[in-house]
Amino acid sequence: MDALSGLAMGFSVMLTPANLYFCFLGSLIGTMVGVLPGLGPLAALALLLPVTFTLSPIAGLAMLAAIFYGAMYGGSTTSILVNIPGEAASVITCLDGHQMARQGRAGAALGMAALGSFIAGTLSLIVLTFFAPALAAIAIRFGPPENFGLMALGLVCTLFMITGSKLKGLLMIALGFLLSSVGMDMVNGNERFTFGVTDLTAGIELLAVVIGLFGISEILLNVESVAKNSLVADRIKKLIPTWADWKASFAPILRGSGLGFLLGIVPGGGPITASFMSYAMERRIAREPERFGKGAIEGVAGPESANNAAVAGSMIPLLSLGIPSNPITALLLGALIIQGIQPGPLFITQRPDLFWGVIAAMYIGNVMLLVLNLPLIGLWVQMLRIPYRFLFPLIVLLAMVGTYSANKNVFDLWMMLGFGLLGWLLRKLEYDIAPFVLAFVLAPLLEQSLRQSMTMSVDGAMILFQRPVSAGLVAASALLLVLMVIRQFKRKRGDS
Amino acid sequence: MKRHTLKVLAGLVLSAGLASPALASDPAVAKLKPKDFPNQPIEYTVVYPAGGGMDVTARLLGRYVEKVSGDKVLVNNRTGGGGMVGHTWLATQAKNDGHTVGIVANLLWGDALLRAQGKWSLADLEPIGYINSDALIWLVQGDGALKGRSLKEILQIAKDKPNTIRIATVPGTMWEYLVEQLENNTGAKLLRVPFQGGGAGINALAGGNVDLAQGFLAEFRGLAEAGKVAPVAVAANSRLPHLKNLPTFNEQLGAKEYTWQVVRYAVVPKGTAADRKAYLSAAISTAMKDPELLAEYSKAGVFFDDALMKSTNIARDINAYAESERAFYVKTGRVK
Repeated sequence: MDALSGLAMGFSVMLTPANLYFCFLGSLIGTMVGVLPGLGPLAALALLLPVTFTLSPIAGLAMLAAIFYGAMYGGSTTSILVNIPGEAASVITCLDGHQMARQGRAGAALGMAALGSFIAGTLSLIVLTFFAPALAAIAIRFGPPENFGLMALGLVCTLFMITGSKLKGLLMIALGFLLSSVGMDMVNGNERFTFGVTDLTAGIELLAVVIGLFGISEILLNVESVAKNSLVADRIKKLIPTWADWKASFAPILRGSGLGFLLGIVPGGGPITASFMSYAMERRIAREPERFGKGAIEGVAGPESANNAAVAGSMIPLLSLGIPSNPITALLLGALIIQGIQPGPLFITQRPDLFWGVIAAMYIGNVMLLVLNLPLIGLWVQMLRIPYRFLFPLIVLLAMVGTYSANKNVFDLWMMLGFGLLGWLLRKLEYDIAPFVLAFVLAPLLEQSLRQSMTMSVDGAMILFQRPVSAGLVAASALLLVLMVIRQFKRKRGDS
Repeated sequence: MKRHTLKVLAGLVLSAGLASPALASDPAVAKLKPKDFPNQPIEYTVVYPAGGGMDVTARLLGRYVEKVSGDKVLVNNRTGGGGMVGHTWLATQAKNDGHTVGIVANLLWGDALLRAQGKWSLADLEPIGYINSDALIWLVQGDGALKGRSLKEILQIAKDKPNTIRIATVPGTMWEYLVEQLENNTGAKLLRVPFQGGGAGINALAGGNVDLAQGFLAEFRGLAEAGKVAPVAVAANSRLPHLKNLPTFNEQLGAKEYTWQVVRYAVVPKGTAADRKAYLSAAISTAMKDPELLAEYSKAGVFFDDALMKSTNIARDINAYAESERAFYVKTGRVK
């Protein structure tokens, strides 16, 4: 069956009132969990998994998938409005999105995030429609050495995210590395830096780190300095992006889509890494990188597109091979298995109705989300009128519920508060926390892929250069690093 | 004559049960129901994330237990530390009032014997019902050099050319113990590539990054149907009903010790009142007689261990299994 007739079949499966209703319900829930800080798509999917038992497989899958990408739409909202990420893949949107809001351009930022998400989601789906099996065949070849190359490239990207002092930035990256090594060693199963605390054996929960460093610390900073809203609603000017915004965002959206899609397909990637790397990339190629962190719309458009494209990308290994590449697609796989459906390479021929139905559902869901999100922008912006003394306790409450819901472990709440204090202190001392978070995400993957590569290899580190893809990625990282050092050196000389 | 009457009675009871689905409770279970219990939903605790094999097992069981008991069952995932956080919670903090039931796997034994550091032990959790099992299966690539070779041949290659065959393992788990056992007994030497879970190792096999992987039927069935991977042997006591042609490690190597499987069962915290325990146990074993539930489990690729299905003393029989795992730890110097 060729792709177009398959897609037509998918739409005919999906276009029933019941299926559309569940797709819409998923979009709505996804937007909500995206907006609410702390509560992420994983917790929502886990909570709603039993509901899908009683639904038809296509309705259940359409709903669960919609929650996943719906959360990517909603995640940027609180990042932009109150500088608190709605979920981990929208952390980086805080940097420029919130600055835009401070300049009265919250509407433009929210609008561009929604439109970027829509364009990226739809573009990725078009690629998925025509090339899913071929891309899956490439993705599965992606082994530990290739993953190492990718993570090395990501690590170089963290360097581009340092805004102030280079030394302080490097310190934060090192701290990210250090804290990510807490927990069970993946090679020999020994515990590292856990000091006998059972709650630390799984390492430090990413959600607690992100919500603490960004959310709680933001609230602490505000409590300290303001009695009333710092961005009162009368400063909100335009709700829609201007033509200039469009022109500036067009290329970042396309780049973010491509990057996010690729990172979604490969095993180590995913929406979080995709959003960070897109931001770093935009800053690297911008003519005036100093605008970043001060309200550059590219810094919103790129990452917000990338995280959405990564969702579509991560559906490829799931639908074409039955292989989940992240915890969320693993949950989707579980939902299918409960229904007695076993995705694998033959899924597309055995159950074309489901395969194409899900793809059709994602096209439909993206349109629904755009229609749902654009009118909501006006409403969200009104949220800024809520006095902080009401808004902040509410956000803290939601953040605690969200963080607890991930593992049902009170320890994570203390972690979150601890990281809140740490974040407050670091921001007072003008340390960047974004490189810290990216290093924290990448370091375990980097370590794992390097150690796996070395175990697999017959001649040591050479394995990284013997395979073309990993060699290319490692070379690209090295080149970027050298260029950066040279530029730094030149700048120093120019100064003196 | 008497037997006939019984049959009629049973038929009546059965039809009564069907006629009044609102009550939705099995008479054998209802008979054991304590007066004051349960007074809130029963919480099935799963120590692994939602959507995984354990979670699916617990949610399906919960649905059928609700059917036979009329009680409300909630599934709660307490995750972290590869199950360690949830196991510790069940053994040391969960209330023993009968409202908390742990849906666990024998991976609990490793945590109790090797990692609990004396804070808790297996005796803190009492088995009340067997659910199902999964056995570890060795896989090769569907088009690789090892395709079509028997287990013995593969081990011979690993002996003649040590460290040339790459196998995906999960450190500190049965994935690794099986490899270790085989190496110790046969002199083979495999290159162990560590992964975070069985699924990741199977992906690496399908992508040609390792030569051997280990996993459960549900994890690789799709890939096997497409010929991307092929099973070699299964670490169970007897051949699996789904894979009648797949030999066991034991029959291939003429041994009895290569049994590495996930045994899923239910526990309650120590000290749960006897009547509540009996009731919870009856609800599970009655649900486990429903052919619909068994069919749902079979669809997911698991099998049922006959000895445990027919067991009259589940706690004793499960603890006997745990004892044989302990013997392996003692033999390999992991436990003194």
